[in-house]
Amino acid sequence: MRQLFKRELNILWHSPWQLALISYIPLIGVLALWWLFSAGLPRQLPVALVDLDNSQISRMLSRQLLANSVIAPQSFANEAQAIEAMRQTQVYAMVVLPYQLKKDLLTGHQPTIDIRYNSQFLLVGKLLSSQLQLSLAEGLSHIGQQRLLLNGANKATVDVSLTPITNQTTALFNRNNNYVGFLVPPILIALWQLLAMLVFVNSLNKELILHQERYYLPHNIGALIATKILLYSPIMLLHSGFILLWLYHYLSLPAAGALIDLVLAQFAMLLALWTLVLVIFMAMRDSARTVSFCTALLAPAFAFMGITFPVNDMPLLAQWWRLVMPSSHYIDSHVSVISYGVDLPYVVAQMGSYWGFLLLVPVIVWLAHKAKQLPRNQLSTTISDQEASQ
Amino acid sequence: MSFWQLMLAEVKAILADKAIAVTLFGGVLFYSVLYPLPYLQQVPTEQQVVVVDHDNSSLSRLVTRHADASAKIHILANLASIDEAQAWVNQGKAHGLLVIPANFRRDLLIGKGATLSYGGDASYFLIYSAVAEGLVAAGIDASKHVQLIGLLSRGQNPQLAEQSVNSININANPVFNPSLGYTPYVVPGLFLLILHQTLLIGTGILGAGQWRKKGYWQQVSPGLLVMARLSVFLLMYGVFSGFYLGYCFYWYQVSVLATIIEVALFMLPFLLATGALGILLSCMFKRRDFPTQLYLLMSMPVLFVSGFVWPIALIPEPLVAVSQVIPAVPAIMGMLELNQLGALWSAVQPKWLQLWVLFAVFVCLAIWAVAQKQKQAVGIKSDVLSE
Repeated sequence: MRQLFKRELNILWHSPWQLALISYIPLIGVLALWWLFSAGLPRQLPVALVDLDNSQISRMLSRQLLANSVIAPQSFANEAQAIEAMRQTQVYAMVVLPYQLKKDLLTGHQPTIDIRYNSQFLLVGKLLSSQLQLSLAEGLSHIGQQRLLLNGANKATVDVSLTPITNQTTALFNRNNNYVGFLVPPILIALWQLLAMLVFVNSLNKELILHQERYYLPHNIGALIATKILLYSPIMLLHSGFILLWLYHYLSLPAAGALIDLVLAQFAMLLALWTLVLVIFMAMRDSARTVSFCTALLAPAFAFMGITFPVNDMPLLAQWWRLVMPSSHYIDSHVSVISYGVDLPYVVAQMGSYWGFLLLVPVIVWLAHKAKQLPRNQLSTTISDQEASQ
Repeated sequence: MSFWQLMLAEVKAILADKAIAVTLFGGVLFYSVLYPLPYLQQVPTEQQVVVVDHDNSSLSRLVTRHADASAKIHILANLASIDEAQAWVNQGKAHGLLVIPANFRRDLLIGKGATLSYGGDASYFLIYSAVAEGLVAAGIDASKHVQLIGLLSRGQNPQLAEQSVNSININANPVFNPSLGYTPYVVPGLFLLILHQTLLIGTGILGAGQWRKKGYWQQVSPGLLVMARLSVFLLMYGVFSGFYLGYCFYWYQVSVLATIIEVALFMLPFLLATGALGILLSCMFKRRDFPTQLYLLMSMPVLFVSGFVWPIALIPEPLVAVSQVIPAVPAIMGMLELNQLGALWSAVQPKWLQLWVLFAVFVCLAIWAVAQKQKQAVGIKSDVLSE
């Protein structure tokens, strides 16, 4: 066993790409992706403001918009220019305060304020839509208050008769809707899964033996695989541990449960990933094709995690496909621990969802058995050739 | 070797290489189905919410029914306490809760006002926004209902009462993606990225496979080889782009505003620049399984830095500046403005010119790099022969 470890480390040492994959590439990837989203809360998003009324009320509403931290209103003289700016993504939404807004309000007509938001950028559009309406509603309630007071209403009852029911909305588990806490962990897990897959595939590909245009496996492949799992699992767990420490200790994102439970869940995810990769590797036995196939399978992992788009609303086929990817199983435990603060027994129970991967183990053993059957008489010569060429 | 023979040789080399053929034809087809698959239902509906009703009055039941009537919300159960609701949320059985306080109806009738509390699971933003929108709408509805009854009971004329409840109309509408659907949001940017990545992988594997072996690529001038290779990939990706930007956009209900000529004119420098970059980088690869790995790791950062998921204004400027050399970054934004937002050609022209500049730089470097490879290969060839 010690010999095998030495051999594995030796191979690792002589492969610069493999060394990069387990050292600086994960670090750069993790930090770069975090940096990209590091703003966390969308702020100061440009919005076109077309004030056709230029009255006291319309200016009050503009100030109200300016006071909202999400909105950065920019004045436009007419709608045509605002529309053009919106088409060029200089602004993400536009608000039109209509001509004679004040007069209509005073004379008891019902003016209409138009808001158009860019829903092609869904995230920004939805946020601006709700924030614009919130700010305008706040401004308009001032006007309503004044009117009620003028009609002789009692000061104490004004607020209640304007809004008899007040709404109190709480974002559970992520109080200020921070995008770092929401989006970055699943993205980093998806990246980590890709890295772990590549490291393992590259290391497996080194064991292929070429013989008459076909690839075979050495007779001690079982021990080799065990060595690889024992070597690479701790290395990859080090990186996922770094992700957890970075997010939940250094950046102090809220975490309700114990991070150590998550490391266990990550280990289970790695084992599932190794099994998946082994099946593909044994079935393909060609380095470029194994890489391509694993890539095709795991590249969309982020979309299937169900963080951005809820799992319940995916079509049935997507819900099944989702279960093929180990990251989807892990992310459920991640959310349970980080948000709901569940304890270890619950996390262990969640790992039961990996049962399908156990069915792959006999398949791997069978495929490996087949792959080892090198034509007998040439076995010794090929291996010695291999050793000579190395 | 004439240019046509060279192009034919290139086509043969691409089709003969299983890894390339699978990536280009299989990958492009497979991803066009797989990536949008989770989002096919477009908007999250019927999110599971539990109600904690401490009031149990006619009005509290009305609020509950109105919330349930919203397409975004499905009321799962009526629970006795907030702790119990918390347990349901923690077990993932529910994603939101609505708390109606005791004496809700009584307080409203005597004019004291009341507060409805909503909670949504913000570990999932889309679920949270669906829950919040649905519950707030139900709450506002109930509020207006109470206001109207109050005004009417004080002897107001119904028409006037209606007006003073809604003194101003706020007419908020989404534009460019009127259904707020998820596939029209994700597909246009993502599909350009898939074209970009598969093109890079295809040229990468082809190059990495060829440089080690003797072949037709040594017998022609580097300029001719690069031009022939670009032409072949351009022809293939013309077809793929037609499939993605034409049929797939139609199938996934992406709004399309540009004319076909404008789209083709914009795609031309994008595909050329990407192809040239692919050939240039292929000269740095020694192993055939390497390009796929490198481009795979690059794809997520490129997707997020292109600015359609997370607004460019919020991405740190150094990242944005560095990313401008990747053809996909100006192409995705330019194409979105041109095709989905209906900007005029003059508005996207700077990005179009940027793509041409990228192409010019990459193609010169690619020719130089291929020339270097051919020089090195002369040495290798004699080695191979001596073996």
